[in-house]
Amino acid sequence: MAAESPISDRKVVVHLRATGDAPILKQTKFKIAGNDNFCKVIEFLRRQLRRDTLFVYVNSAFSPNPDELVIDLYNIFALWSLYTCDKLVVNYASSMAWG
Amino acid sequence: MELCSKEAVKYVWEGAIPLQIHLHESEVTTLPPPPPILVLGSRIGYLPLLVPLIKPHFSSTLPPGTDTVWFDYKGLPLKWYIPTGVLFDLLCAEPERPWNLTVHFRGHPGDVLTPCEGEDSVKWSYINSLKEAAYIINGNCKNVMNMSQADQLELWQSLVKGNMDGYLRISSRLKLGPLGEDCIVRSASSSAQPRQAIGEPDFTGSGRPCRIPVRLYVRNISEDLDDLEDAVPIDNWDRISYINRPVEIHKEEGHLSFKCAMKTLLPKIFFEEPLVDDHEFLREGETVGADSSYGDSETIGGSWNAQAEEIPFAGQPQVQLLKKSKIKMIRIQGIELDMDIPFFWVVNNLKNPEYFLHICVFIGTSTDQSTFR
Repeated sequence: MAAESPISDRKVVVHLRATGDAPILKQTKFKIAGNDNFCKVIEFLRRQLRRDTLFVYVNSAFSPNPDELVIDLYNIFALWSLYTCDKLVVNYASSMAWG
Repeated sequence: MELCSKEAVKYVWEGAIPLQIHLHESEVTTLPPPPPILVLGSRIGYLPLLVPLIKPHFSSTLPPGTDTVWFDYKGLPLKWYIPTGVLFDLLCAEPERPWNLTVHFRGHPGDVLTPCEGEDSVKWSYINSLKEAAYIINGNCKNVMNMSQADQLELWQSLVKGNMDGYLRISSRLKLGPLGEDCIVRSASSSAQPRQAIGEPDFTGSGRPCRIPVRLYVRNISEDLDDLEDAVPIDNWDRISYINRPVEIHKEEGHLSFKCAMKTLLPKIFFEEPLVDDHEFLREGETVGADSSYGDSETIGGSWNAQAEEIPFAGQPQVQLLKKSKIKMIRIQGIELDMDIPFFWVVNNLKNPEYFLHICVFIGTSTDQSTFR
């Protein structure tokens, strides 16, 4: 899908991983439009897990601003990491994991 | 020119915006209404940090209830995680002194703005931005994560209090700068290596391009505007293009000017003489979207170019874009920069304490409504 669609529609593969005692999702890989804000990922997780208190991180490292565009995060953090290759790894926890 | 000037950094740390804060009329319960309060907002600080100064002034007139503080400028709710100086540079095309803001203690617009729950929220946002910057510079943020709690707290407190020396002392241990023109992070002394495991991806000095954390805010104003005071105020954050994209520099480039760095960030928009060299731009256009393999920094920029192109221009995309847009002004820390300044000087001296360089770009367009991405 990503190869044929115009760049403005490019979707980013997001890999959602639970941390600590946070519930694990049945499906962990999703595609989201690059133009969407990171807050869409956060809201999606909140709806799926039915929780308001969630700490969401990228690459087990830090929490981006909800304003960040997914495509920007992908370009910075997915492409440059030797370990995650072509997807944006998003970790979520019910309590602060990397404070 | 020395690349890192303590004097310049001191100017930045001492920079402040004179603010005149009015309580929103819906929250005034006394007659006469309280006068606005005059406060100096540190450029590198954040608006919520001023609440302890502001609240006592208004607390006797507030209606009963719990507070969630937020600010607005001409109706636009202000994003509290953007440094005060950046908000001022971006939203006040013509600097307004004092800057008139409205404070609210109730009625937080949750759909537009994430709530700020006091100093801890701001600290959390700051530390996360610092980690993000460390990740961009080093390929990992271990240096920040390995900081002791005491150090993290002291770093934060030195920012809150405007204590530059304290801040420089602790932040130097992170070894995130200053950057030399060879893209190597210079340390003040030849002390022990940073505590990063050997064999971990390390982007400095290994032949990979070095990356500088940048937050770019692009605002469109009418091209025919003679007086910045007449610029249409921003009423919605969608009118501003926020781009979080690092500047990638290859070691061979050496003496990189600020102009060249800006070209890598905004290649389609940034030019000096309109329509002089069509061929150059057509060549650029040819590389767009050609090869989407990663590890190729040109293509990462290329993919962004194509995105900018997708938006409203049909027919001859590049040429039309050249006609329609022009850089009106670029502001960093309130300064309109000379484009020939060495980029590394700009980064080392004008960056914010979380190691991001915040750049406000004003673009003159014939259509006010368009945004650039």
